[in-house]
Amino acid sequence: MSRIMMQRKDKPKPQQPPLKTLWRAAIDDHPIGLAWSPDGNLLAVAGVSGPITLHDGANGAVRHSLAGHTLDTMAISWHKDSRVIASVGQDGRVRLWDVVAGTQIAEMAGGAGWVERVAFSPASDWLVSAAGRKLRLWKSTGELICEYPDANSTITDIKWRSDGKQFAISAYNGVVLYDPTKSEPLRRFEWQGSTLTLEWSPDGSYIATGDQDSTVHFWITDTGQDLQMWGYATKVLELAWSFNNRYLATGGGTQVVVWDCSGKGPANTKPIMLEGHQSLIKHLKFQHSGNVLASGGNDGMLGIWRVEKKKSTLLTSAVFKDPIAGIAWSPDDRCIAVVDEIGTVSVAQL
Amino acid sequence: MMNTVETRVPVTVLTGFLGSGKTTLLNRILTENHGKKIAVIENEFGEVGIDNDLVIGAEEEIFEMNNGCICCTVRGDLIRILGHLMKRRDKFDYIMIETTGMADPGPVAQTFYVDDDMQQKLRLDAIVTVVDAKHIWEHIDDSDEAKEQVAFADVILLNKIDLVAPEDLDKLEARIKSMNSMAKIYRTRDAVVEMDKILNVGGFNLDRAMEVDPKFMEPEYPFEWSGTYELAAGTYEWVMGAGPDPVMGMAVLPLANSGMAAQEAALMDAVLTFAEEEQAVQAGAAMHMGKGRHHQLVLNKDGETIFKITLEQPGFYQLFTEHHPDEFDAHLCSTDAVLDPLQTREYKPDHEHDEEVTSVGITLPGDLHLEKLNGWLSQLLRVHGQDIFRMKGVLSVRGWNERFVFQGVHMLFDGRPDRPWGSELRHNKMIFIGRNLDRTALEGGFRACLVS
Repeated sequence: MSRIMMQRKDKPKPQQPPLKTLWRAAIDDHPIGLAWSPDGNLLAVAGVSGPITLHDGANGAVRHSLAGHTLDTMAISWHKDSRVIASVGQDGRVRLWDVVAGTQIAEMAGGAGWVERVAFSPASDWLVSAAGRKLRLWKSTGELICEYPDANSTITDIKWRSDGKQFAISAYNGVVLYDPTKSEPLRRFEWQGSTLTLEWSPDGSYIATGDQDSTVHFWITDTGQDLQMWGYATKVLELAWSFNNRYLATGGGTQVVVWDCSGKGPANTKPIMLEGHQSLIKHLKFQHSGNVLASGGNDGMLGIWRVEKKKSTLLTSAVFKDPIAGIAWSPDDRCIAVVDEIGTVSVAQL
Repeated sequence: MMNTVETRVPVTVLTGFLGSGKTTLLNRILTENHGKKIAVIENEFGEVGIDNDLVIGAEEEIFEMNNGCICCTVRGDLIRILGHLMKRRDKFDYIMIETTGMADPGPVAQTFYVDDDMQQKLRLDAIVTVVDAKHIWEHIDDSDEAKEQVAFADVILLNKIDLVAPEDLDKLEARIKSMNSMAKIYRTRDAVVEMDKILNVGGFNLDRAMEVDPKFMEPEYPFEWSGTYELAAGTYEWVMGAGPDPVMGMAVLPLANSGMAAQEAALMDAVLTFAEEEQAVQAGAAMHMGKGRHHQLVLNKDGETIFKITLEQPGFYQLFTEHHPDEFDAHLCSTDAVLDPLQTREYKPDHEHDEEVTSVGITLPGDLHLEKLNGWLSQLLRVHGQDIFRMKGVLSVRGWNERFVFQGVHMLFDGRPDRPWGSELRHNKMIFIGRNLDRTALEGGFRACLVS
């Protein structure tokens, strides 16, 4: 077990280079999804009341506004070829959209009233959706491949391993792994607690989860050995792995807590604490191929941090009027997209 | 959690057994012209829009927060659903959560205390319980859920009163008050009730923490009634008809005068007297006046029974009876007339100890020692937290000019200094609602926290 030492010091802020805003846009809604197409050409912003806006990544021009869901849209996910985006919502539907034509390709039943999660495989043509306890695997044409046995409780998250050969779901009582070519679960990592979110390390060797009981749980996927990190101020919904599998950044409070998973791992070590947010951190994203971390909080602050074992630094920050509702690095890591709760979309360059 | 401007959306939790009229009430709330946009979360799947309002289905998912303690069970489904709802909260002014008939309201209430997002954006207003006045008797003795729903409530609607005789309603209301003395009780037919009685009532609001029926804050006494008489020397008759019991306890105590102080002194003497072993008094025999004389009047099987009281000195006397005299049509007579008391008083009876779910209200003068209080409360909740459903208090803490108000659900509680005492008499009031509460232990523990 590792215990976080919570200390707060007010340090003077060093001079920061400003973020250079490339473009701004506004959707008149609370954003619930923000995702770059894998080719970096489009930025999709889904609003809670339904519509999904596709912005040109270079200048913010609206390419299409997809109708989304009649009742709230809940999640979006891009197909690896950047031509199709999937969305799920409270109308019980999984919808597939052609982003070039701006039209709906397919509409499927998620299995329950609220379809909360959707994830395209990063390496193949598969799509997984979760609605309550129902877990369904689809082809990108909308054809159902598999309906899995119901999960033990509502599925809170779905994440694919980076090679696309496995995916994991989280629910109350831990994590379940699946191989999309098999109809039964592959493996279970059980833990008596309400698991809210999960994140694979990029090499697939670890799975980290954030829990309602203010802890982070951590499994070594080969051995099933597990580890718990506790001492967080509140539930942990924010998890981000660095590209080299070394750092796991976690939220669950006003400080970013970064665990160093190199060497013998984080057991009995003191994490790196990044201080600067004035209220709860709600979003954490590492670059795809660098050790720069972006954090977004209820204080409206976007923090850009360089994470290093010896000396982590706040590279720059920007403050929005409203709490941050989402952040996303562009696939080439050169831009960062940020949305706040009133629907301001900003894309900035470091 | 302190909020200077209240922007949080109020939430009402609606409980009640199947068939109690809960759904009728809910439909009434949705159709009433109250100008609010309401989101309803109920236990069925699917989402239905009704004009402005929205009905959302939930699969009741209860989970434990800290490895096995029921005091920390919460409703995961609510955290998820409300989290989503709050993103479009400009569209809702009010949220209703309808629980299933068999639900324990504890996890629902606790959910609002353990999750930061919920605390920041939502305000648990009240738990409203609808009781089927006709059929509740079938559940109230053996259903934990029925007891919990009554015990947790801030507002209780005794519904379907048209199907029940008035005296049965009185009985039911008394029974419910003995379980939960904190709740406001309304009698309804077809769940017709003014909206401001059930919405925005502030049941979990610290400012209104202690609006409790004062009678139910009183200690319990081993007698139900006393009557003060001014009597000349001589012999009197205490005449009783048949009643619910074949025997009744009684004491006759002298009063120094008819003033308050004398009556308080007599009250203490009466408590001590009723603690003495009772002496049987047969029909026609005499009662003895004075402290320590605890009589047990033995009634004739049929008709009237007469007991004699002989007084050597004229003066004020107070008669204490185990049951209310009306139950036996009892009265005091001189040789030629029925005598009316100058004054009567009714006491909350303590013969309800067999009730598993009860309220214990404690009022104490003096200042509390904060550390002792903390120590006592944390020990109390650690051991009995599962059995203590709700707790409210207004406390006078040494060194503080402000009243300290608090309220809690099981082991979770919320407290803060409130307005200054000012000219108000400093005192401590506390109420516990729960299962198997030990009044003596609670009162003793509370008293031990006073600054000596």
